[in-house]
Amino acid sequence: MNYFFKRKAKRYPSSKSGTIKQSRDRQPLTCNITDTVDRIRESFKDMDDLIVRETRLAAFPDIRLALVYIKGMSDTASLQQGFLSERGARPHPDAFIDQDVVDYIKEAVLNLSETEEIRDFDALNTAIMSGDAVILAEGHALALAVGMKGGDRRGVEEPNTQSVIRGPRQGFTETIGINTTLVRRIIKDTRLRMESRQLGRITKTKVVTMYIQGIANDSVLEEVRSRMDKIDIEAVLESGYIEELVQETKFTPFPTVFNTERPDVAAAWLLEGRVAIFVDGTPFVLLVPALFGQFFNAPEDYYQRADFATLLRLLRYLSLFIALLAPSIYITFTTFHQELLPTTLLVSLAGQREGVPFPAFVEALMMEITFEILREAGVRMPKTIGQSVSIVGTLVIGQSAVEAGIVSPAMVIVVAITAIANFVIPAFSMGISIRMLRMAMMGLAASFGLFGLILGVIALILHLCSLQSFGVSYMSPFAPLVPAELKDSIIRLPRRIKLFGSGSTGKKKSARRQKGTIPSPEEEKRP
Amino acid sequence: MKLFLRSFPILMLLSFTLTGCWSRRELNQLAIAAAVGIDKTGSQYEVSSQIVNPGEIAKQKGAGGRAPVVTYSTNGATVLQALRRMTTESPRKIYFAHLRIIVIGEELAKEGIAEMLDFLVRDQEVRGDFYVVIAKGGKTAKEILSTFTTLEKVPANHLFTSLEMSERKWAATGKITLNELISNIITEGRHPVLTGIEIRGNSKIGTSKENTQNAKTPAVLRYSGMAVFKHDKLIGWLNEQESKGYNYTQGHVQSTVVVYACPEGGGGTMSTEVVRTKKTVKSRMVNGKPVINVKIKGEGIVGESGCKIDMTKPETISELERKTNEDIEGKIQQAINVIKKKYKSDIFGFGEVVHRSYPKAWKELKNDWDEQIGSLEVNVDVDIKIRRLGTITQSIEQKIKE
Repeated sequence: MNYFFKRKAKRYPSSKSGTIKQSRDRQPLTCNITDTVDRIRESFKDMDDLIVRETRLAAFPDIRLALVYIKGMSDTASLQQGFLSERGARPHPDAFIDQDVVDYIKEAVLNLSETEEIRDFDALNTAIMSGDAVILAEGHALALAVGMKGGDRRGVEEPNTQSVIRGPRQGFTETIGINTTLVRRIIKDTRLRMESRQLGRITKTKVVTMYIQGIANDSVLEEVRSRMDKIDIEAVLESGYIEELVQETKFTPFPTVFNTERPDVAAAWLLEGRVAIFVDGTPFVLLVPALFGQFFNAPEDYYQRADFATLLRLLRYLSLFIALLAPSIYITFTTFHQELLPTTLLVSLAGQREGVPFPAFVEALMMEITFEILREAGVRMPKTIGQSVSIVGTLVIGQSAVEAGIVSPAMVIVVAITAIANFVIPAFSMGISIRMLRMAMMGLAASFGLFGLILGVIALILHLCSLQSFGVSYMSPFAPLVPAELKDSIIRLPRRIKLFGSGSTGKKKSARRQKGTIPSPEEEKRP
Repeated sequence: MKLFLRSFPILMLLSFTLTGCWSRRELNQLAIAAAVGIDKTGSQYEVSSQIVNPGEIAKQKGAGGRAPVVTYSTNGATVLQALRRMTTESPRKIYFAHLRIIVIGEELAKEGIAEMLDFLVRDQEVRGDFYVVIAKGGKTAKEILSTFTTLEKVPANHLFTSLEMSERKWAATGKITLNELISNIITEGRHPVLTGIEIRGNSKIGTSKENTQNAKTPAVLRYSGMAVFKHDKLIGWLNEQESKGYNYTQGHVQSTVVVYACPEGGGGTMSTEVVRTKKTVKSRMVNGKPVINVKIKGEGIVGESGCKIDMTKPETISELERKTNEDIEGKIQQAINVIKKKYKSDIFGFGEVVHRSYPKAWKELKNDWDEQIGSLEVNVDVDIKIRRLGTITQSIEQKIKE
């Protein structure tokens, strides 16, 4: 399948990257402040929110200073305070007489802000665009970028997805700084490391890789770094862009990258030795490596009692089978294997099907598609209209279709339970995979009966077992079997119970690593 | 090669359509046969199928005007031929996987059922877990299947559940599946039995829906007695007592009622509910002749008492146990005697027991086993323990006396 996409992917970047490179300006700054300001004005032409202010310091009244920033993106209040206090303090000029004006600004005026020296126009533009205030000084071939990123941002709210009954109500926001801080507040350890990089040639989006030194698996970390380094893209608008580029290249309907809106989930995964990828501008944080079983764990599993959590997990796996197979099993039983049904049930089903014009497969397909349409319509509707959509949908598919004799009541039940079971799966990305596979299973069931269905399931299991997420087997700890990790898989044993000695997911010297299922970075080579 | 690789997935997907959904059949293309009746008219088989009308059965509200079942009936030189000819009458293909019961005409049974059973065993659609019964009392299987029943909309279901229930609670009938029947026919030292079914009342009204509209149903389907076979041929009937005696020896009695006269006399009767009986049939060789020992164990519950006896005394209970044992033993002996004297067909499977215990001696015995059965010594030992008296201890009769 890969084959289909390769050519397109290659063509895209080569055609446009050339034009973008031309606009790059690696020229060094000059000492002439007027020239520099003119050039800034030139490159920010037609942008009326660029503010250029000229000012002087009390200590260096002879040197012209220029302050450049973009309105709304910088928090100028602290900047102003620095300059004001410098003026009010009126320190003896001699104290700084042999000092450079730039050093003076750094030490005396803005001694609490983060500053960075800039020496070329490219960096200058980037600094301005990302919300820093830039100070230029007459006679100096460098600029001072002051970390003043600010402006309006959304506060920390309860996440819309992955809501819990019990657990913290904090959610990530669109601002990366807030997001990393939220996790830092949970893990107060110096071993929590962050690697920052800029991705997106135009958007220059900040992307932070977070892990815990000593817990995170080195080979996974290496894999994440190398895949991130290979990213060459114009724009990163959401973590989905990064997900698509770092996930496994093997063609699969299953997600190999987890995403979350919850700091507690991110922290839990980090503590398990995984790597979190924060992307500026989205509350969705990526977590790798993600294994199949983890898409069926809800954060609450760890906050509730273990026995209850275990029962809920069993329920979710049951729902997985219903969501994946219920319509296909109904199709096979009613069109190929009527002998497998109890007689009374068969008679009852046959009675319901009297006068239904379509084969069971077409009936099921119709209902499934109707449901998908309704769901899609409901997702993007404003909440008030969404309700009426669902009411109309219920009436149409539930009542009218049956009364009109287009579908049998049993089929409505099957489709309804399938849809509800699909919603039980906590991870939306996994839910989508199951939805797609359900249709394929229905096709197999309708053309080959139970035989085809079983073959389909076998093929699916083989595929799942062959998958890897960042070098870790997707079906771990079941295949390969890691007994120590089974205590937190389909079941969750109480924390006191230790199963087959200690061992926890992805940690440096876990059983999995000893077994050699995580290859070292040299072994693992992506195609 | 590139083109091939690129088109391969598409070709794979297209291959799905090539299957044409092989052997697919929708539920509303099936005629679900609930019962089949087989008679013999002249040299031809007359096969009747009771087809369920699912639309009428599944209907929740409103009594539909149409019959819940329809019975088709065709002739043929073989069963299969007759069944296939049935498509000329039925709009749908008849589906046998959900067959619940087969009724065999008495005349056919007398001629032998082996030939007609072959189709039922050979066909992959027929499951073999349905019950087989014999139409009794001069009625054909077709007539049995044409009778409407009230509680169960599908008469086949009525036959099925009524047979199961009567076997469980009365034990004078036997639910014998096709598989058991075949195994009984072909086992050495055993001959099959089948339960009889008859119509009581006006069988003419029975065939119309009117039958279900009276509080006292004019025509009732009723199980009665068991047919004794020799190999695959019917040779006679056991009455209710003998049938029960037969079922005791087979360990088929899960629960039944034993009635006897009061120990103190005076015309009153008592009944004991006998439950959980177990049989042990063993054979011994005495002077080169086989002797069969039948041992029945079980529990009794006093079900009804019209006697002026003191049931708090252990002696009374022993007396009741003795009476119960006597009754059961009598029934078993009655059944054995009728076989010994009249039918000479080892339906009890005594020959099988001898075969298992003395395989070498059996080689000699098997040739004229059915003749020997007339002089076979069978000892019957019944041991029923009365464990419970029900919710009251003394009978009302007893209270009046006081």
